[in-house]
Amino acid sequence: MVTIILQSILSVLAALVIGVFFLGLFRIIMARIHWRYGPPLIQPVIDIIKLFFQKGMSHGIMFDFGLIISLAGSLAIILFMPFGNWCPLSGSGGLLVILYLMLLMPFGVALSGGAGGNPNISIGISRKLILSLGYEVPFLLIMLAVMTQYKSISIVEIVQHQQNSHWALLSWPLCLPGIAYFLILPAMLGIRPFDVASAPQEISSGSMVEYGGKYLAFAHIEHAFGLSITIALFVNLFLGGAGNIVFFFVKMLVVFFVGLCVHAVFPRFRVEQAIKYLWKWPTALAFVGLVITVLMK
Amino acid sequence: MLRGYGKPGKATKKTKIMDRNQITKWLKSPDKMARKYSLHVVYFCTGCGIIEIPPTITARWDAERFGIIPVATPRQANLFLITGYVSVKTLRAIIRTYEQMPEPKYVIGFGSCPINGGMYWDSYNTIKHLDKYIPVDGWIAGCMPRPEAIIVSVTHLWTLIDKEMANGYLRYKKNYTAYRRNQEMVLGTLEWPPVYQESGNGDQESG
Repeated sequence: MVTIILQSILSVLAALVIGVFFLGLFRIIMARIHWRYGPPLIQPVIDIIKLFFQKGMSHGIMFDFGLIISLAGSLAIILFMPFGNWCPLSGSGGLLVILYLMLLMPFGVALSGGAGGNPNISIGISRKLILSLGYEVPFLLIMLAVMTQYKSISIVEIVQHQQNSHWALLSWPLCLPGIAYFLILPAMLGIRPFDVASAPQEISSGSMVEYGGKYLAFAHIEHAFGLSITIALFVNLFLGGAGNIVFFFVKMLVVFFVGLCVHAVFPRFRVEQAIKYLWKWPTALAFVGLVITVLMK
Repeated sequence: MLRGYGKPGKATKKTKIMDRNQITKWLKSPDKMARKYSLHVVYFCTGCGIIEIPPTITARWDAERFGIIPVATPRQANLFLITGYVSVKTLRAIIRTYEQMPEPKYVIGFGSCPINGGMYWDSYNTIKHLDKYIPVDGWIAGCMPRPEAIIVSVTHLWTLIDKEMANGYLRYKKNYTAYRRNQEMVLGTLEWPPVYQESGNGDQESG
């Protein structure tokens, strides 16, 4: 019991620290690619401290609760997600719970934004939901392929299988869904070329437009959690997880860095271009992977 | 502007303004330090001076080193650069933007036009004294000021925040009746309700 509570606290803390570290690294690496020096690594921490000392403004009770729902969804996912050898609620749920809970994150932001009443928020949320419609299809096919291959819905068992043989990304039928997952990863993280939902130049950062003060701080923290969760899921499903948190972090760092290079060099897709892309290549790869997996079983 | 600071090699010793790495100061007053090193500038083109902002935030002068980044909405910002001349129409937008920013917030007038009208000193349509309508914490003189001037002005703003002299938002709250009267004299009736109560110590409304 004590170990479960301790592991819950530790994995939430690890996800937060890794996410905030990634936010800082994001800005530094982007700066170096732009030939700039860039901010210090702790700049997101400074920003969050400042935002907590600033006077935020609420737009009603739903505005507050939407953010809380979103944060609660991320926290719940982290409890079901193995971080290295920490997996507090590994005995129950598994991939299906994560699939359901992952819907809470955009849903909470949409609820919160609906109370804001700014037209930019409505545009941002509709773009976000259309985009999630785009990546949910290949994402579900990928999940199905993985679950069929390992005959399990438990992430812990999937990681165990991979550690006994080899990574899913390097095994034959599962390499196709693995590549498909990597192709939709920018859309799930909301980075370029799929940052239509939070485009600062077009719609004043979309659903974030009314957030200020502590609301923005919580939105940043939620973003950090989202980064950790999406990358951790990829590492668990296709890169074989890890025996401890350090190796797990190193694998996450590699995935994040490659995703960042994509972010740095691509311009932004329009919504319909994004849908066209997401429903063509990743979906085709994931579908072919699923069919081959089913046929080989 | 930078001539007074001597040669670049010596400048680091003479002007040790930046105290971002001093842990004791962070523990003593985290709010003040975080405000100093996380200035989010509202992305609002008020006049021709905005042309100096792209070189300041991109590779040549890279203001992000000091935590200065432009943000797309006033709700997320705490520094407002009035870049260039202020027409009567712009003043309305400036006041609305300023009132939407969360406290504490700072305003810097950039260029000679916001100071006294600049080359538009006899224009019927240009605001000559911006300080009458919103509180301004500091001015950058010049037409145009160089991007270095923005960074130097930010170091001055740091000093002001340290000494708690960058209190424009408190002045606005205290003298809101007078500021509102001045705004109404130029703009006619304002279509938004008073942000603070007329007594001067009220709370900010949502809107």
